[in-house]
Amino acid sequence: MLKELFFIIIGSVLVNNFVFSRFLGNCPFLGVSSKTETAVGMGMATTFVLTMTAVAAYFIQNFILVPFGLAPFLQIVSFILVIASLVQLVEMVVLKISPALYNAFGIYLPLITTNCIVLAVALLIPQKNYNLIESTIFGVGAGLGFTLALILMSGIREDLEFSDVPDALKGPAIVFITAGLLAMIFLGFAGLVPL
Amino acid sequence: MNQYARMIVVLVIISLVAGAVLAFSYKVTNPKIQEQAQQALQQAVLKVIPGAEKMTAVEKQGMTLYIGMDNQGNKKGIAFKTTGSGFSGPIEIMVGYNPREGKLTGIEILSMSETPGLGARIKEPAFTDQFKDKSVSDEFIPKKDVKVVTGATISPTAVSKAIKSSLAEVTKIYPVGGDF
Amino acid sequence: MTQLIKDFTNGLWNENPIFRAVIGICSALAVTTAGQNGIAMGLALTFVLTCSSILVSLLRSIIPPKVRIPCYIIVIATFTTMVDLFMKAYFPPLYQVMGIFIPLIVVNCIVLWRAEGFASKASLARSIADALGMGLGYAWAITLISIVREVLGSGTLFGINVMGQATHWVIMLLPPGAFLVMGILVGIMNMIARKSVKNTHCH
Repeated sequence: MLKELFFIIIGSVLVNNFVFSRFLGNCPFLGVSSKTETAVGMGMATTFVLTMTAVAAYFIQNFILVPFGLAPFLQIVSFILVIASLVQLVEMVVLKISPALYNAFGIYLPLITTNCIVLAVALLIPQKNYNLIESTIFGVGAGLGFTLALILMSGIREDLEFSDVPDALKGPAIVFITAGLLAMIFLGFAGLVPL
Repeated sequence: MNQYARMIVVLVIISLVAGAVLAFSYKVTNPKIQEQAQQALQQAVLKVIPGAEKMTAVEKQGMTLYIGMDNQGNKKGIAFKTTGSGFSGPIEIMVGYNPREGKLTGIEILSMSETPGLGARIKEPAFTDQFKDKSVSDEFIPKKDVKVVTGATISPTAVSKAIKSSLAEVTKIYPVGGDF
Repeated sequence: MTQLIKDFTNGLWNENPIFRAVIGICSALAVTTAGQNGIAMGLALTFVLTCSSILVSLLRSIIPPKVRIPCYIIVIATFTTMVDLFMKAYFPPLYQVMGIFIPLIVVNCIVLWRAEGFASKASLARSIADALGMGLGYAWAITLISIVREVLGSGTLFGINVMGQATHWVIMLLPPGAFLVMGILVGIMNMIARKSVKNTHCH
């Protein structure tokens, strides 16, 4: 059991990193990876929301959609609505409980609804037939993988500011090429764990 | 009408309409989706059992097996589904098996998400054809008795392992040399 | 009429979602391993985008501003599910390749960006022109990426061998290739437009 959980987490952080090998969450990956500080905040916020989404998706799928036979056609709509409300809820709760925490990552919360990692995790959980614990770990792993990608990229981009980049490649273009090189590095993790 | 009531009414109406539209689309497309799945299954079964024209499904010891027959009703072989864990997700394989001869009669990759041009080449006949007439007592180890044509070893290993381990189950139900 | 043409061509080049605005790129990177995938994904997105824009534009005076985002999301999710079911029923092989990226059209920033930024303020005709332009702009962009990756990665063009054995650079089909091709194409488009993309619109 513990072994499977370990495989899930290594699989989603390194082997099948959500950004570099599954191509998920590329919009925020480009948008907020220019400073390490914001990257850490965004990563933490996303991991938090992902973990809660994973749990919510598990319960909705197994206790509402499947028993009532709604899964094939209401899955997408219900998951995205739950994610949107969850994000809103988290934002309100965090603001009430800890204004300090809210200042640290509250501002990133509204952006998370349209991060495709979140919906993808929700949709992958029923596909992979994960149980509650596996789902939770999968959510955490996805978040950590995203955070790792963001931090790696932001570190490089902070240095890139001072580099002599050809005019045409300034902006997103050079970020893509850098991401390509990082993705190549992540290929090295292939086969680390059985999937 | 006050502002909040209007918000709720609009949201409820939109959700209801969306739900109704989706339920209707599902009703329209579902028979076709089922038919496609059934057709794909039948095609795969007939492909891995040479000479088979029709099939029947049987449940035995928790396994679903498909028996392929020719038009006269003569049994030509057994097919079963197995799943291996590939490089980027599960690989579903249909395997044809002839107990009388103790040989495989063919395999077909049903679904997989391996890397195009690399692991995905397990779908090509160059890889799948080598399992035809392969004895079930073989080892099924890539680079030993299974040719790796893909440049990658993870996907062929996943396929071979999945076949070997499910053959262990199937040969318990239909032993080599026995009838079916 | 000139306004409509302007709205339509805007998405094809000036604000091309992939090359100029650089948004909605997850699917552009993920499914673009073969030419026909690019076309299919492009058409699927164009359908969802156009239908959502029509509805959003028609409902713009009815939907209260405070709940507009949830309303848009429901509309978009509905059309996405329809495409999902339709592809599953009539194009199972393509559906297998696209996998999760069809449902993910819901959170493709392009759709919400146009619904919120254009259709919610413009007339029906203009919204349709804008949505079609954006959708087709997305479609040609990802078809181009797919063609480059297919030719370099498997040496084929729409499944027909054009390069012999000269280019079997598997790396182009793997994730790094997607990022590299994307970066270089964005760079080339910048050169053509003679100004570089300042910032992404999304986030």
